This record gives sequence, C-alpha cells and structure tokens, in this order.
Amino acid sequence: MLEIKDLHVEVEGEGIEILKGVNLTVNKGEIHAIMGPNGSGKSTLAKIVAGHPEYEVSKGDILYNGESILELDPDERAHAGVFLAFQYPVEVPGVTNNTLLRESYNTIAASRGREELDPLEFDDYLRDKLELVDMNPDFLERSVNAGFSGGEKKRNEIFQMAVLEPTLSLLDETDSGLDIDALRIVADGINKLHGEDDAVVLITHYQRLLNYIVPDHVHVMIGGKIVKSGGKELAIELEEKGYDWLETHATVNGEAK
Amino acid sequence: MALATRIEPSILHKLAKYAPESENSVWTEIRTKSLKELNSTAFPHRKIEEWIFTDLRPIVRTDFVPLEEAGTFPATDIEKYFIPESDRSRLVFINGKFHEKYSSIGGLGKGVTVGNLADHSDEEEVQKYLNNLVNYENDVFVQYNGLMFEDGAYIHLEKGAKAEAPIQVLNLYTDAKNPFVATPRMLVVSEEESDVTIIEDHIGLGENRYMTIPVCEVKVKERAHIHHVRIQRDSIDAIHVSRPIAYVEKNSEYHSYTITLGAKLTRNEPRVIQEDEEVDFTLDGLVLIDGEQIADTHSVMDHRFSHADSHQLHKVVVNGKAHSIFNGKIFVRRDAQKIDSFQENRNLLLSEDGLVNTKPQLEIFADDVLCSHGATIGQLDPEEVFYLQSRGMTEEKAKEVLTYAFALETIENVKVESVHKLLIDEVYRYTKANSESKVTV
Repeated sequence: MLEIKDLHVEVEGEGIEILKGVNLTVNKGEIHAIMGPNGSGKSTLAKIVAGHPEYEVSKGDILYNGESILELDPDERAHAGVFLAFQYPVEVPGVTNNTLLRESYNTIAASRGREELDPLEFDDYLRDKLELVDMNPDFLERSVNAGFSGGEKKRNEIFQMAVLEPTLSLLDETDSGLDIDALRIVADGINKLHGEDDAVVLITHYQRLLNYIVPDHVHVMIGGKIVKSGGKELAIELEEKGYDWLETHATVNGEAK
Repeated sequence: MALATRIEPSILHKLAKYAPESENSVWTEIRTKSLKELNSTAFPHRKIEEWIFTDLRPIVRTDFVPLEEAGTFPATDIEKYFIPESDRSRLVFINGKFHEKYSSIGGLGKGVTVGNLADHSDEEEVQKYLNNLVNYENDVFVQYNGLMFEDGAYIHLEKGAKAEAPIQVLNLYTDAKNPFVATPRMLVVSEEESDVTIIEDHIGLGENRYMTIPVCEVKVKERAHIHHVRIQRDSIDAIHVSRPIAYVEKNSEYHSYTITLGAKLTRNEPRVIQEDEEVDFTLDGLVLIDGEQIADTHSVMDHRFSHADSHQLHKVVVNGKAHSIFNGKIFVRRDAQKIDSFQENRNLLLSEDGLVNTKPQLEIFADDVLCSHGATIGQLDPEEVFYLQSRGMTEEKAKEVLTYAFALETIENVKVESVHKLLIDEVYRYTKANSESKVTV
C-alpha cells in the first residue's frame, strides 16, 4: 500500500536535511509503529506522506498503491484515502465540526465514487461514529478544536478518522497528552476501525500505546533514518533500554538524544 | 483655533451656498452655527496627524454638484432591502430625504416615537439634543451636515419603553449622472430603562460616485439599553464619512457593531462618551475590502467615570490593493477608576498589495484600571490551510473557509435574525469572490 524509497527530505528553502534515506513498506491490513527520540524525523515522515508544503523531497519517492504521490496536493492525497491525525490539531473557530466533516466526507466520497450523504443521513452516520470515541453529540455544533482540551483534540482526530474511513492512517503522537482512560478509548477506537483493507502507522514516543494497539512491525527512527526494525517485542526492548544502545547505528545527528 | 483666518475653500465650502432655507428656528440656528464654523475650518489633508494615512483624493478630485443638479435616477426594487422584523418599524431615506410611502412606523408599542426629524421639531428632546451631542473638533463634515440636512431619523423612547421590534433606518443612494453629497441625520434618545435595537443600513443602488456624510447622535439614559447595528453597503465608488456619537449614562448599555463592505473611501469615526458610572459599551467593527477600497476607522472610547466595561473588536480583511486604517483611542480620565477596557484590532491580509495601518492609542490617567489592547496583521496560517486540505478541501476552499471563520466572529453578536443571516451571506459572498479571484496568500 505504502512504499517509501530512499526518501530524503529538506525544509523548503532552508537546505537542512531532516530525512536522510528512509525506506519503509506498509502492506494492507498491517499496523506499524515508528518510535524514536525527539527530533528524529518521525513527525516529518508523517507530514510528508500527507503532503505538508513546508517540506521538500530532494531524493527518493513515496508510492501509494503503486503510484508516486509526490506531485499530489494534500487534498488529493486525502481523496485517495490518506489520513493524518495531527500531533497538534489546529483550531478553526467559526467552522463547526459538523460542517467540516460533511464537507470533507462528501468531497472524499465524490472522488472515491461513494455516494454523498444528505444532512439527515449524515447526521445518523455521525452519531454512530461518535459512540466509537465516546463523544457527546453537542460537540458536533462546536467549532473545530476551538477551546478543546488536549485530550478532546486527540479524540476529535480519531473521530474524523472514523468518519472519513481512510485506507492509510498516519497517527502522529495521538497518545501524547491523553490520560489513561482517554488513551484506552482512543486505542479501542483505532482497533475497531482497523481492518484487512487498511493500514495504520502509529508514530509514538512511548511503548504505552502499544499495550493497547498491537503492531505488526516496530521501527526505530534516529537521526532521520530507520535504524532498526522488528516485531512488537522491539517496543518492549526499547522501553527497557531506551534509545541509547541504538544510536551508534545512526549516522550522527546532533539532535538525537 | 486660530489657524484659519483665511482658508482654502474645498468642495464642501463651495457647495455651502446651496444650503436650504428653513422657517424653523431649531434648524436655522444649527445652520447659522454650522456655516460660521465651516467658513473658518480648513478641509483636512495628510499633513494633519489624524489624516496622515488617508488618501483624500477621491473627495478632493471629484466635482460634486448639489443634489438637485445631480440627475438622480429613481430608486427601484427597494423592498428587497426591508428586513422582515421591521415590517412596521422602518424609516426610509433616499439620498438623505425622508420617504414616507416606503416607511412604516406603526408597530413599536407604547412610548416609542419614530419618524422624520423635520416632523418632530417641536419636541423638547429635539430642541435640547439635536446638534448638541455631536462633538467633533473642527470637522468640516459635521459642519457640512449641520448646514445641509433637512430630514433625518428620529427615535425616542419614553421612560421604561421597550421597542417591540428592531427599527430599520434604511438609507438608500440612487444612481445619478453627476456625483452628489447626501447628509443623513439621526437622533436617538433613549430615556431611563428603555430598550431598543436599531439597524442602520446604507445601500448604494448603483455603482456611481457620491458622498454620504451621516451624522448620528445617541443619548442612552440611566439603565437604558441600545443595540445599534450599522451596515455600510455603499456603491463601490462612493465616499462614506460617518460620525456616530453616543453618550452613556449611569448603568446604561450601548452596543454597536459596524460592518463596512462598500464605498471607495470610508472614514468612520464612532465615539462613545461615558457620562456616569457603571456603564457597559461595545464598539465592534468588521471591514471587508478589496480592489482599491480605503476603509479608515478612527474611534474614541472616552472613560470619564469609574466602573466601565468597554469592548472593541475591530476585524479587517484586506484583499487586492485595498487599504485599511485603524486608530483606536481609549481615554481613561483621572479618577475614572475600575475601568475594564478591551481593544483588539486583527487584520488579515490576503494579497501582497494590500496595506494596513493600525494604531491603538491608549491614554490613561487613572491608576486602577485594566486596559488590554492588541493589534495583529497577518496572513492565513499555512498550518491551518494544510489541516483543512488534509481533510480533503482544496487549497482555495480551505482559504475561503478560514477567511469566513475569521470574519464571522464579529457578527455573532448581531441579534436580529434576518440581519445576522444577511451579514453571514455578505461575508460568504466576499470570501467566495476572493477564492475565485485566486489571490496569492
């Protein structure tokens, strides 16, 4: 589904290389976890797959369902089924969750050949999805993320994922800022949403989330490269040993801690 | 001031000889005084601090003629501007002249008087307040209005009277062969414990050049409440110079919301003057401009007594080569303690050629006050655009939605439903037009 090949990425116009040759293959039905210390490039990887304009690919390619998506705008990638749950979801005062979701759902539905839903049908559709992340229907009439707590924002991201039904979900530190109950709700939601036909990439700092969502593959990213890959047991090993023992594998990057 | 022993006559000075005659002593007195002041006041120019950013060429370079010689076209299809809530509480002025046949004033309940100022010249309040509340220093526009106005909106609420419906003061300006000057006038006196909502609307029916100089005097007495919405939808080539001033007495509330959409050049100078303790007032504004429009707001919030809550949110969206100017003066006089004043000017620049000048101006002479103020000028946040794009919206749509959301905040407090909806539509039309013009952000 997703093939990242020798990906080198710079900040647009600054010439600072953040990703230094990333290779990653994610197949249908899989859950991958990408772990690593701060500044290792994990979030950049997620953003670049979603099409963030701040970054520039200087070398390599990203294939989605066998085709390069580098030239696609972020909305075109969303239409193709790519979804990014933001580490810091953006507040959009004046636009209600309901409005945003209906707009998003219908444009994505149209481009994927699904049927658009009228407001009443959409309402019913949303209510089922709300239960999945244990959110109050009142929340639909509130402005997107405006005045939400950190935990509410993260739950809202997963709620959007539930509504938009992506085939590739990149979840960027969705676990950070969640208390243990919220973490369980979010993790249950992700587990229910995940099936044979889609893939999930979890970007996380801590092994904690992986107690609830069991990954098929775990990758460690340090200094803009994936330095080690393994099964779910790698996450436990990281929890015990930290990242230090792996850093000698990495090409030195001052930012790695 | 001693500056003007000999002044350069402007177009307003030249038109002064067309001032109408009046048999009414109140009007005669106002005209005599206005003419005397006008004759010794120079037209402003950009070397004066208060006018330093404002391009006055659209006024100076236009050969305005007296209204009678303008060759005005009839006003047609004006019913569409009537708001349904004011079905029986509407005053209509065309080029500043009162039109009884379009007006409707039966539905306001006891103790509310609404009509043409010229028909109420005998009333005590008119004699007492008309032209005596307006307080703008050496202002040729106020003087010219005083010299020229014949008709005007008069709204009076007796003690305890609550207007049962919002009052629409509809000012229409017609297309014309030649540019003319209109001088709408308004006097609102709200006695103790009364309550009224006023929708003041200025609409250009054509795309012609004209100048309108609305002067509005408002007196809010003890415990009275006024909700004042001002919508400026003048013709795209018009000039709009307005002077709305409100005096707020003890325990009263005055909330005003000005929406500026039209006109080539706007100079709006709202003022609120505190006359006693325990008042609450709002002076919000929303400006949406494009092309070569210039919109200038110079406001004054004058805190003269203790215990006032005041609020000013002034939001501006600039596209094309448009130019916004904001100067917000907040005065807190000596001994005016326990003031809680909020001022924020937020500017959204959608184009590279747009221009914003902003100057919050706080002059505080009391020591126990809370005055917060801020001014920002920015573009749409790329992170917000990306967020919406990642949810499937095109870049254009995302920018449209964000601009819409930015502008919407200021009109949330407009409580007349049809007007709120109308303003949402206007905001939508503006953002839609902009996303279609594919501006660079």
